Amino acid sequence: MDLLAITGLLLSIFLTLAILSFLFDDNPIYKFAEHLFMGVGIGIGTIEIYYGVFQPKLILPLLEEHRLLSIFPLLLLVLLFAKVTRKHQDWARIPIAFIVAAFAGVKLTGEANGRLLEQVRASMPDLQQLYETSGWWDWDNGGAGVISGLVLVLGLCACLLHFYFSARHNRPMRTISRIGILTLMLSFGASFGFTVMGRISLAIGRAEALLGLDQPNTLIQLGSMEVHRMTATRWMTVGTLLLIIVSIAALRRRTAPDSSTS
Amino acid sequence: MKRTLPILITFVVGVIMVGEFFIPHWRYRALTGEMLEWGIILAAGAFILGLINLVQVHLPTVVQRGTDWGYKAVLLVSLAVTLTMGFANGKERLASGMEATFSYKWIFDFVYTPLSATMFALLAFYIASAGFRAFRARNAEATLLLVAAALVMFASVPIGEGVPVIGEYLVVLKDWTLDVPNNAARRAIFIGAALGAISTGLRVILGLERSHLGGE
Amino acid sequence: MLDLLIRFQNMDRRWVFLGMALAIVLPMLVPFSLPFKVDQRVQDLYDRVEALEAGDTVYISADFDPGSRPELEPFFRTHLHHLFRQDVRVVMGTLWATAPPLVKPILEDIAQEYGKEYGKDWTFLGYVEGKELAIKSLGQSVRKTYPLDDRGNKTADLAVMAGLDAMRDFDILTSVSAGFPGTQAFVLQIQGQYNLEMASACTAVSAPDYIPYYQSGQLFGLSGGMPGSAQYEKLVYASVPPEKRPRLPATSGMNVLSIGHLYIIILLLLGNLAFFLTRGGEEN
Repeated sequence: MDLLAITGLLLSIFLTLAILSFLFDDNPIYKFAEHLFMGVGIGIGTIEIYYGVFQPKLILPLLEEHRLLSIFPLLLLVLLFAKVTRKHQDWARIPIAFIVAAFAGVKLTGEANGRLLEQVRASMPDLQQLYETSGWWDWDNGGAGVISGLVLVLGLCACLLHFYFSARHNRPMRTISRIGILTLMLSFGASFGFTVMGRISLAIGRAEALLGLDQPNTLIQLGSMEVHRMTATRWMTVGTLLLIIVSIAALRRRTAPDSSTS
Repeated sequence: MKRTLPILITFVVGVIMVGEFFIPHWRYRALTGEMLEWGIILAAGAFILGLINLVQVHLPTVVQRGTDWGYKAVLLVSLAVTLTMGFANGKERLASGMEATFSYKWIFDFVYTPLSATMFALLAFYIASAGFRAFRARNAEATLLLVAAALVMFASVPIGEGVPVIGEYLVVLKDWTLDVPNNAARRAIFIGAALGAISTGLRVILGLERSHLGGE
Repeated sequence: MLDLLIRFQNMDRRWVFLGMALAIVLPMLVPFSLPFKVDQRVQDLYDRVEALEAGDTVYISADFDPGSRPELEPFFRTHLHHLFRQDVRVVMGTLWATAPPLVKPILEDIAQEYGKEYGKDWTFLGYVEGKELAIKSLGQSVRKTYPLDDRGNKTADLAVMAGLDAMRDFDILTSVSAGFPGTQAFVLQIQGQYNLEMASACTAVSAPDYIPYYQSGQLFGLSGGMPGSAQYEKLVYASVPPEKRPRLPATSGMNVLSIGHLYIIILLLLGNLAFFLTRGGEEN
């Protein structure tokens, strides 16, 4: 059992470093890991779809509950799979039409209600109330106040007018459009900042795994020695890193003469 | 017939689904609920269709030892092993302790987790490089972008918050950027996207948009 | 000097990668701790959960996978501790195929820690495909969307589901979301239609997109990325003595994040400095 745990730990370190090896250059070890990722990912997706959808919603209702209504989705599913045949693939248009229409229907009402109406409604600040609660500008309340309310409405209108591509952009329109662009730039800058934050957070997660910081504070049997899981993880990381560097160097040396002759 | 029936189905299903929002009667909800069930099953079927397509594309390459056949073999073998373990473990596949044996859970924990997490973590390095090489204050717009990005990065972490005297003002400015200009820009994008989605949805339901049905 | 700056601008990007790696690894090897404040968005989320009473019900849609684990898992764990501490019934499902093997063991472990009984105090309904269609269906009936729970029991027969069917029957809906389908799809499809009380914990990338939903009142609370998770950890564990606290990954990650951000800001400044100083030289 311990052997499997160690193998698992070693494998996860190897695969982490295999993906990170792409930072040095595209190489066969990375490509191997990339294809493994796709294979396992699709496999997990298929298994979860079977146990989450097909079994409870189709197989059991048909075979155990004898629910006649479930014949219709089965029929649509059969027609959908006709897509893989060259001869009968036109039949797949029926289930595709069904699913596209269902998505279009829910999307239409969802966008209209959840986004369009709610967001327009929320973009009409009560300036009188804002003045009473926060004045013109309140440092203690994130800069809330009349100024922020006005900037919000003017910025929104300027952005919308900037997106109004079919209108002729004469001088006043160009000025408004420029305000819109500047507002968008502030927003995109904030997005960039948050994207950096997200990506570094993910790198922190992997670094913690490589340094064994996410391991429980228990001992692990390595041959005749008993070491802490964190220490064992760090040794494995260093060893695997060296192995990957040597392997990439060897592979590059092997392919270099081939490319020079070609 | 090849197109008329699908267009008719699109119209009927689309109109029924839109009606769900306006008709809160339980009988009508039962009808749309059943249609949603069918839609869920079909969406799952579409995933399986993708799986079949993947095998159709890669298997011949592996059999004929075509370009990159080794990597494609890795993909197909790992897919087959995951599927085998998933079906073999069945309902118990997520039970606690399963990761202690070679199982579906073991594959998830020690193969999928490091691969997936590292794949996304790679972007931290590229974003650093991109920021360094391409993020230049060439004009007013780019300068504003740069200032907003630096402000959000600096004031969102303890090291920025803790700067004496100006730290708390930086946090307020960061919050203000997110709550006011960011809000205005996002709402403009939301309103535009919503109008676009509504018009596309209507075009699909009314049969004006038929690209999903393919060519004749 | 000019020559040096031009060379600096054109240096191999792998040096930048190495610097990034060091900026992340070094603060982990030499840990330090800096205080941070709690954002109003996270405070609102915490306050609403605090106001829940024993026996209230919360639906969690755990829509994340290992690709966003460091950002969302700390929130997810802390949220479960918070809910079970409040003696709240928890029903969880997911719309991400790669989520169940990650989220189910966490829920199971934490429920066990609080002595909660499966089926009575909590349940995991598993995964359902269909994205927005599934969300729409959840709005109508959770029981129909998930006819069986993850263990194969009939969802309708579970004691935890007594009196619960449509999403509006739950007191709170929490969306722990790493993208699509997630918070945005829930807000668009069912939050407005059924007037649900909904909170979101999202990745940092999505946070600027979801702030308008918090501002408009469609979300009562919002936790964005690792800082949001760290702030939530701070609030939830404030009453727990430090020696009894578990390891708080988001809190410890915040200090590393500080150095990472600082590294990027320095790169931006140096890059721009080199650009402005060398621009004249290059033009000549």
